[in-house]
Amino acid sequence: MTRRWSPPAGPPAGFVLRTGVAEPVTRGQTGTDRVVEPESVWMTLVWNDPVNLMTYVSWVFRSYFGFSRAEAERRMLQVHNDGRAVVATGSREEMERHVEAMHDFGLWSTLERVER
Amino acid sequence: MKSFRARGRGLLTARVEPVEAALLSQLATNVADLLAGNDSAEDSQEGYPVGDGDGAPSGRDPALVRLFPEAYPGDAEASSEFRRFTLDGLTDRKLRNARTVIATLEDATSATGTTEIRLDPQAAQAWVRTLTDIRLVLASRLGIDDEESEAPGGEPWVVVGDVYDWLGWVQDSLVSALED
Repeated sequence: MTRRWSPPAGPPAGFVLRTGVAEPVTRGQTGTDRVVEPESVWMTLVWNDPVNLMTYVSWVFRSYFGFSRAEAERRMLQVHNDGRAVVATGSREEMERHVEAMHDFGLWSTLERVER
Repeated sequence: MKSFRARGRGLLTARVEPVEAALLSQLATNVADLLAGNDSAEDSQEGYPVGDGDGAPSGRDPALVRLFPEAYPGDAEASSEFRRFTLDGLTDRKLRNARTVIATLEDATSATGTTEIRLDPQAAQAWVRTLTDIRLVLASRLGIDDEESEAPGGEPWVVVGDVYDWLGWVQDSLVSALED
């Protein structure tokens, strides 16, 4: 890893973006052993790194997440100044897709559960 | 090399010298080779920095660690599962992107003078990602791991540092043209 960091204690306040309504996950469709997990919310984080250009990170946020120019800029600066930013929240599957997409772009991205 | 320019309908162009085209092509080839090697290494699941007991993050090339970061820091099992489901796809796409860059530069590399390269929207997406991958790998080789890092002095590192900075300029120029 290019930078050491400590996992945040909890989600930063004020981030409700791309909040998908998480579908309850069902496992085993036979009827009798149907288990419904409680729905949980996950978040996609992007971490600061010393390589990616600020203009590039901002462009990725705009082109992939559909943020406005101002919003993309704000998130990018948050990554730059605070070391990380939440860029999406929603179901685990959806957040994993976002993380994979961020890795496609070469951004350092992770996901974690939003504690409630 | 001159900055990328937007020509309308998503077409971007730039003028490159043969030596620049050859350099970019070589760097993209290096990344492709690294990724192709990674593909086969995955079969043995060796070297990824997953802390599952004896999983010391020793053998894995730091450049690959950065290209494929852990999705679940502090959760080796979930990270390993994520990697199992995404690594092949990510590797294939990164390889395809690098090969697109190499193909775009083929004529410019063998030309005797400046050549205009043309990127359609799909090629531009491949370029912007591959330039990032190249810079991530070079940064790893140069030991750039925080914003205060200085590239090592002395040949050949000064040259690599200059190339790294130049790639940053190329990337910035491409992103600006994409923003237009």
